Amino acid sequence: MLDFFTIFSKGGLVLWCFQGVSDSCTGPVNALIRSVLLQERGGNNSFTHEALTLKYKLDNQFELVFVVGFQKILSLTYVDKLIDDVHRLFRDKYRTEIQQQSALSLLNGTFDFQNDFLRLLREAEESSKIRAPTTMKKFEDSEKAKKPVRSMIETRGEKPKEKAKSSKKKGAKKEGSDGPVATSKAAPAEKSSLPVGPENGELSKEELIRRKREEFIQKHGRGMDKSSKSMKSDVPKEKGKKAPRVWELGGCANKEVLDYSTPTTNGTPEAAVSEDINLIRGTGPGGQLQDLDCSSSDDEGAAPNSAKPSATKSTLGGMFGMLKGLVGSKSLSREDMESVLDKMRDHLIAKNVAADIAVQLCESVANKLEGKVMGTFSTVTSTVKQALQESLVQILQPQRRVDMLRDIMDAQRRQRPYVVTFCGVNGVGKSTNLAKISFWLLENGFSVLIAACDTFRAGAVEQLRTHTRRLSALHPPEKHGGRTMVQLFEKGYGKDAAGIAMEAIAFARNQGFDVVLVDTAGRMQDNAPLMTALAKLITVNTPDLVLFVGEALVGNEAVDQLVKFNRALADHSMAQTPRLIDGIVLTKFDTIDDKVGAAISMTYITSKPIVFVGTGQTYCDLRSLNAKAVVAALMKA
Amino acid sequence: MATVNSRRVGDGGGAGGTFQPYLDSLRQELQQRDPTLLSVVLAVAVVLLTLVFWKFIWSRKRSQRAVLLVGLCDSGKTLLFVRLLTGHYRDTQTSITDSSAVYRVNNNRGNSLTLIDLPGHESLRLQFLERFKCSARAFVFVVDSASFQREVKDVAEFLYQVLIDSMGLKNTPSFLIACNKQDIAMAKSAKLIQQQLEKELNTLRVTRSAAPSTLDSSSTVPAHLGKKGKEFEFSQLPLKVEFLECSAKGGRGDAGSADIQNLEKWLAKIA
Repeated sequence: MLDFFTIFSKGGLVLWCFQGVSDSCTGPVNALIRSVLLQERGGNNSFTHEALTLKYKLDNQFELVFVVGFQKILSLTYVDKLIDDVHRLFRDKYRTEIQQQSALSLLNGTFDFQNDFLRLLREAEESSKIRAPTTMKKFEDSEKAKKPVRSMIETRGEKPKEKAKSSKKKGAKKEGSDGPVATSKAAPAEKSSLPVGPENGELSKEELIRRKREEFIQKHGRGMDKSSKSMKSDVPKEKGKKAPRVWELGGCANKEVLDYSTPTTNGTPEAAVSEDINLIRGTGPGGQLQDLDCSSSDDEGAAPNSAKPSATKSTLGGMFGMLKGLVGSKSLSREDMESVLDKMRDHLIAKNVAADIAVQLCESVANKLEGKVMGTFSTVTSTVKQALQESLVQILQPQRRVDMLRDIMDAQRRQRPYVVTFCGVNGVGKSTNLAKISFWLLENGFSVLIAACDTFRAGAVEQLRTHTRRLSALHPPEKHGGRTMVQLFEKGYGKDAAGIAMEAIAFARNQGFDVVLVDTAGRMQDNAPLMTALAKLITVNTPDLVLFVGEALVGNEAVDQLVKFNRALADHSMAQTPRLIDGIVLTKFDTIDDKVGAAISMTYITSKPIVFVGTGQTYCDLRSLNAKAVVAALMKA
Repeated sequence: MATVNSRRVGDGGGAGGTFQPYLDSLRQELQQRDPTLLSVVLAVAVVLLTLVFWKFIWSRKRSQRAVLLVGLCDSGKTLLFVRLLTGHYRDTQTSITDSSAVYRVNNNRGNSLTLIDLPGHESLRLQFLERFKCSARAFVFVVDSASFQREVKDVAEFLYQVLIDSMGLKNTPSFLIACNKQDIAMAKSAKLIQQQLEKELNTLRVTRSAAPSTLDSSSTVPAHLGKKGKEFEFSQLPLKVEFLECSAKGGRGDAGSADIQNLEKWLAKIA
């Protein structure tokens, strides 16, 4: 039922492969590696790729990966156990080959695992099949057959399960005739210890219930018992005539009962109180109760004693564990990493990384480190910190090329403008950073057309007009051979943004501008009509670059913003592969000292690179991301 | 004896006051002709020095014997690695970590090199390059000749990075650009790849130096490749860059041998 099962080393060599179908398994496995392992989403161990579900397991000690793939529509329950079994068997069988540092042993070794694997697969499949319906027990096997027949004889008018109090009398009468029956009916009022047990020496369920009931009644004092007994004894006497019913709680108009003037310290209540106290203190009247208390007190006595030696043992163990952890090679287990990972997670959250992303990151790091053998003189903390640092740098590395100038040159050659769209929520700095980027482009000799598609905010067009005037003063046409380097394209307020963008791009193509920067209005990610409008702008105009502008001050909001923006763009796009956010501009970076977690959150969610970083409010404050510096600031205590 | 000592004490009283007691004990030992403490100290010092020297020499010998296989994802580095070491064909997946092995060069001196195969995935390649570049004796940049036309910008960007890094090393390593996957019909020749890369690197060095500076404002001006003002050519670089064609898969697919004789000869040359 499996499509394939592969075992390969982390260095890329396939050690063994089982293929149930004829398709090669490289494609899905590569997709798994690229989307999960390399993007630090290794928290849970399953991944869906087209029609297949892939489950994987990492062996960090020997740097192996075990991957199994099966059809998504099947839900196989034995797969997890199968992977664990295969892992264990493979590791034990080929321990010498996989233990070497050099790759030569892996290359030269032959891994003839087919038979073992088929055997394990067969075992796993069989164990998961539905168990055969249990056959009914034969009569000889049941408990009833073991009891003597006499114990089960029931005579009319007497049920073995009657309450002890009422049956006591009847039992006393009939004691001679039914020996075994009477033994099971002892009266609690007699203060005798309960019989050892019925003759056959077996406690049936009913007797157990009865015994418990008796204990319960014993514990709750005799008073109630006596009254109920007397009541019950009254009832049969008066069975002849229909007596008026006496409700227990109905109250009675009896004058003596209602007279509370008598002193409370009379015989009965006090005795009851003293009994209660005795019961509370735990030295009960009946032997039965005593037994229970003894055993419980024994337990209490034993428990603190066992706690003390374990406490001393744990301190000793802790000391040795620390020393052992410092020297020598021990492999990491989850418990070891637990506390360190918790601390790292809190540290990341304190540095403004979104909470669930910090959780996922720590999960992924734990997955990568589990079972790894630490070198000498490296503590758990240092290993975990090192691994976390590597994963953070890995996340911040761009997955695709980030070179806007190169792409603009390409577009120049093809005689069409390079269109960049800025989108984001309100007040993150879209217009300011647009001005910074146009300044940078002008410095590099490209002509820029700014399209004012923010037709909503008061003063948006005027703001861009001011920027254009200033940039134009810095780069006048005379310096560039009579060519206007920067121009604003605007159509006032209240118009449709997508239409303005389309006209702007056509204008740029006619006039030979190199770059078109489209400024859109800020919008909240929950505002459906505005998101639809943005998606329409992007779908209709197909810009070369869609930049999401996000501020570095944002915390958990970043996740929500990016997810909803991407979803809106994907939903409203007609194309096969919808245009999503291509890059991120991180603004207001100078306002955070080292709480740089927003960078991690944003790149983790979208897997798109951070193209620009805005570090101030003047034209020169534009930087590109340096992954190492950001991670260093993040990991700093 | 005692008077001499006391006079000496008086003389050296000013300078080295703190070490006086030690110096005294040292002198006493020397005079007693029973220098146990001194000999022990000397012996320990000699042993330490020997260890330090040995480690230094040994690490120097080992440090520069590594040949790094770098390149984009899916360019065939791991298969090339396998072919060089064993000559057989193995299935490969995307590498997540590096693999290293000792490779015996087939020349008459029988030298050995450490072949290190680095992952090519975008998120890993720079990290691993950082880690291993100090011990690199030579770089082998593997290019997928069949899909080169599509990926020329990515190839050029990574090549630019590797060139900048290798020029920054104190001993200039040898550089080889291996145009792999020549068994596919659409593969470009080494000459064409060289021309395309030169053109691309020409543009790239302009755009990379014009990019906004990095965050920590460590205003290190990125090194300029080649000569300014002239079209970029590989011959302008301080390190020697060669091109050759090879095919890790070989003409006859899995069963046949790989077409890597040129590569083996080059490795024998630089060993």
